[in-house]
Amino acid sequence: MTGVPAEATNPIIRWEYLVDEWDQIQTALVQHIELTLLAVALGLVVAAGLATVALRKRWTAGPITALSAFLYTIPSVALFAMLVPYTGVSRTTAVIPLVGYTLLVLITSILIGFRSVPPAVREAAEGMGLSPARRALTVELPLAVPYIVTGIRVAMVTTVGLVTVAAIVGQGGLGRLILDGLRRTFWTPMMVGASLSILLALTFDLVIWAIGRALTPWARAAHQSGKHGARAARAGRTRP
Amino acid sequence: MTGVGWLAQAGVRMDIGLFEWLFDAGTWTGADGILSSLADTVRLCVAVVVVATLLAVPLAAALAHVGKGELAAPWFVNVGRAIPTFAVAGLLVPISLRWGYGFEPWPIFIALTLLAVPPIFLTTYTAVKGVDPVVVDAARGMGFSDRHVLLNVELALGLTVILTGVRVAAVQVVATEPIRAFLGGNGLGRYVRDGLGQNNDSLVLGGAILVAALALLTGLAFTALERLVMPRGVRRLGRGRDRRSGEDHEPDASARRAAQAVDPVGSLRTADSGLQ
Repeated sequence: MTGVPAEATNPIIRWEYLVDEWDQIQTALVQHIELTLLAVALGLVVAAGLATVALRKRWTAGPITALSAFLYTIPSVALFAMLVPYTGVSRTTAVIPLVGYTLLVLITSILIGFRSVPPAVREAAEGMGLSPARRALTVELPLAVPYIVTGIRVAMVTTVGLVTVAAIVGQGGLGRLILDGLRRTFWTPMMVGASLSILLALTFDLVIWAIGRALTPWARAAHQSGKHGARAARAGRTRP
Repeated sequence: MTGVGWLAQAGVRMDIGLFEWLFDAGTWTGADGILSSLADTVRLCVAVVVVATLLAVPLAAALAHVGKGELAAPWFVNVGRAIPTFAVAGLLVPISLRWGYGFEPWPIFIALTLLAVPPIFLTTYTAVKGVDPVVVDAARGMGFSDRHVLLNVELALGLTVILTGVRVAAVQVVATEPIRAFLGGNGLGRYVRDGLGQNNDSLVLGGAILVAALALLTGLAFTALERLVMPRGVRRLGRGRDRRSGEDHEPDASARRAAQAVDPVGSLRTADSGLQ
């Protein structure tokens, strides 16, 4: 192939590129983060809706899960590609499959979270006269948080990886750097794109884990009870 | 160098219809045909799953047998999930070229293997760990050697759970393999790539349908395998003890939970039945 540098003289990293193309790298990183957050946020909204239906009307749980499981099995390359004839090379083409892929994990974690609430707790809340909606939000949801947070972590990390694949339909943030580098046999953008997306996945995982930890102080301070339990537990965490 | 694969595009008319393309005999045969691309994909996926199984099962079984790696198993799976396969394969391409191995197949092979190992590792580890200690003690009391206990008791009883891990890994591998077409290789993903490159929607859709069909078939094939072959095997291996104790030789709840951790659908099925 003409224009392809001889491999021996083609450096894996050209440091000048990092300086010269900093704007491009930054844009790709920001787009990657935006796409990931957008997809997971939309996925969470859809999953919350579907999970609510599944919890209210028991018979819908099977079909809803089966459908999201079916979506999850479709290869990413195929799903992105299938939409191109309809939505073109646009952000929509990237976001629809990304949202679809988050559903299985999110719906499952919400359902398992709510179903893990001990019946005694539910009955106690009922006995205290809480309405079903209030009971779900103030009693069951907090207890389901650890499961849901785990679901969000998995969804986030998976989405970071899938966004790179969205580069094949012209989106994809850091994935575009990988693809462009490959096309031009210019390894620097490729190395930058690949390592940043791995780092991004690990960072998201850590951040969501930390948020989940902060949201459920009682999980680490189960012995503390009473009105100030949560606050005391939060204060206790700062001690060595 | 076979590299720069995406420049080699299948010669297809621009105005061809989806079904016209899919049902044309010429589409299926020849060096660029669907059959040869399918064989390419299947070969790679089988190799990946076999290698991942050979890596993960002995390691996980040995660790679980001696009771080490309590913390390693979940860590392993989390890190495995965090690895974006496309990025890892991309990272490996320059290295592979530098060492003279070309675009293919090592980068995608390694990246897919990294994807496949965690679910198999986790299910094997917890399946072996989850075998009832009473059963292990009984086997030892009967004079089973360490190796015997591991092979004929712990692994035999955990087989169904391990196979769940292999299924999850295989489906993920088949579903991810098409990115190979965008990394300088071919395989079944090539039609999507060529179609995108040529602005040919029929080719894109046709390729996407083929890729999706293969992933679905893989899942179905493994489910059938789990239902048909494995229970018979486990039953045969556990028959002697079954008659006497009448006990259920399914790996215990913790192993099942592990299988569910890598298989969200399965976990929901169990969550359902648990409440009904």
